[in-house]
Amino acid sequence: MPILDEPIKEPLGLKNYIDGEWEESEGQLQDIVNPATGKTIAKAPSSTEQEVKEAVTAAKQAFPEWRRTPPLARCRCLFRLKELLEENFEQLSRVQTMEHGKTIDESRGETRRGIENVEVAAGIPSLMMGDNLEDIASGIDEQLIRQPLGVFSLIAPFNFPFMVPLWFAPYAVATGNCIIVKPSPRDPISQVKLAELVDEAGFPPGVWSLVHGEAGVATALLEHPGIEGACFVGSTPVAKKIYATCGQKGKRVIAQGGAKNFIVVMPDANLERTIPSLMTSFYGNTGQRCLSGANAVVVGDDSFYREFIQAFYDAASNIKIGYGLDEAIQMGPMQSEDGKERVLGYIEKGIKEGAKLLLDGRKIDMEEEFPETCFLSPTIFENVTGDMRVGREEIFGPVASIMRAKNLDEAIGMTRNSPFGNAASIFTSSGKLARKFRYETPCGNLGINIGIAAPMAFFPFSGMKDSFFGILHGQGKEAIRFFTESKVVIQRWW
Amino acid sequence: MRLQTASQVVNFAAEIEEKLAKFYEQLAKKNPEQREFFLSLAKEGRKYKLWIQRAYHEVVTDALETGFSFEGLDTDEGLIEENLSENRNLPDILDRALDTEKRIQNFYQSAAQKSKSFLADVPRTFERVARRREKRREKLKSIS
Repeated sequence: MPILDEPIKEPLGLKNYIDGEWEESEGQLQDIVNPATGKTIAKAPSSTEQEVKEAVTAAKQAFPEWRRTPPLARCRCLFRLKELLEENFEQLSRVQTMEHGKTIDESRGETRRGIENVEVAAGIPSLMMGDNLEDIASGIDEQLIRQPLGVFSLIAPFNFPFMVPLWFAPYAVATGNCIIVKPSPRDPISQVKLAELVDEAGFPPGVWSLVHGEAGVATALLEHPGIEGACFVGSTPVAKKIYATCGQKGKRVIAQGGAKNFIVVMPDANLERTIPSLMTSFYGNTGQRCLSGANAVVVGDDSFYREFIQAFYDAASNIKIGYGLDEAIQMGPMQSEDGKERVLGYIEKGIKEGAKLLLDGRKIDMEEEFPETCFLSPTIFENVTGDMRVGREEIFGPVASIMRAKNLDEAIGMTRNSPFGNAASIFTSSGKLARKFRYETPCGNLGINIGIAAPMAFFPFSGMKDSFFGILHGQGKEAIRFFTESKVVIQRWW
Repeated sequence: MRLQTASQVVNFAAEIEEKLAKFYEQLAKKNPEQREFFLSLAKEGRKYKLWIQRAYHEVVTDALETGFSFEGLDTDEGLIEENLSENRNLPDILDRALDTEKRIQNFYQSAAQKSKSFLADVPRTFERVARRREKRREKLKSIS
């Protein structure tokens, strides 16, 4: 199949977006590489501390006027942004494929999910309304008002370079706050493209800023006294650290960490429908997704197990690997060589620990000629147990660990024993078993006959245990609460 | 040609609708007495194209089985034969158009069947376009 037209023809020189202007950074530049082709597609700076300060100062200055802007006027900016996102839908999607490696279908899905958050946040005149009650005591009325806090920082991961900041940004600005986005240094182009559209949509200078950089820039943002709170999505160790830092500094925080998601397959599951879902769950986004299936727990006798494993193997071994801008491709490369090395390390560990390597993803069979630097094929391990590292640690790549359980209780027990609690799914035809799973499984995002339990924009993106640190979550009404203070007014008039 | 991803199927559908719309526009030019009829078929085809693209773009999300739903959907490369309207008289062309509409209807029915695990909007749109194809065939028969 032909490769779709690449929207980036020459390497881009990325700039910071501060106070409504595109500013050249004085920081060191690093190459942003297309993981499929190995070509440099941009150079991104690691911003200086001074540049971070300038961004915070500009955002703080913008805040008083922006919070006074009527919600209807604020949401008009979001409506304009939504229109621009639709107009640029395909270009934005192709950029994601170029900088991340995911397939074009996956990129379009990511773009759509991002836009949905803009759409939901555009309902701010209703969403931000407070409450009131007359006569809480004789002649006394009480009301609750939601007010914005100031400037928030959004620290984005590499696996969804376009969408994740949009779990937070539209709600933050809709409620009258200002934001500073720090994209992942691995794939920052999507956020630059988004900021270009923000600029075109006419948000006032300083309301939405973007500062490139690595961990040092994130730390400078978190520690700056002008920042009221932070939203982070990434690994568990970093999420914990950010949670602690924000706690010490008295800042609000949403910190989403890693995952090790269990997918329970009951013997009454409809395998014909289940297997495609599992392929997306385990191998979609090349397994680099915090909602990806990691451990498939098969419940049932040997005959069902054999049927399942054969169907899973057949589907996984037929997945087409290659450059995501080829529409026939079903799995792109890992986002980076480091990521691939990490997965290769886990494959070695799995073999050493005694898991059976049923499908070896190290053998790469690509449709076209591309450098193998970041590519892997799907891997399947059988006979995995909860005490093996491949069964308990986040691999973040296209590796499925197949486990067995005698019954649903044992399968749910496995999810309880995991330190993570991001997502879990069950595939079954039984409402009773599904209810039990829903009731007892300690995970924030549950799927019933759904491989990727990704909450829509009007629901919170949940998470438990070591997968989430904080109280309120991104998206929907919880994001509105996170980005606002609740002020209660009790009044009596003589 | 074997189509496997949602992107491939949607683009293929868009391509056949566009080709067929152009074919009916040519027929409209060559047959002034049936001009409005053929133009209405062309317009209708472009509407189907839009329905399909819209269904895909509005439900495609990172949670869906976008890469795997259409596993095994084979389609005939020559679903629409080249030069459909050249060097033939109108009854002959209409016969061929009827066959083409039937092949396209079969393609949509098959795509709907293969995409059952997708969010319902996509297979529903394919089914709807397949049903409309039947009506188009009846219309074509009425003038042939």
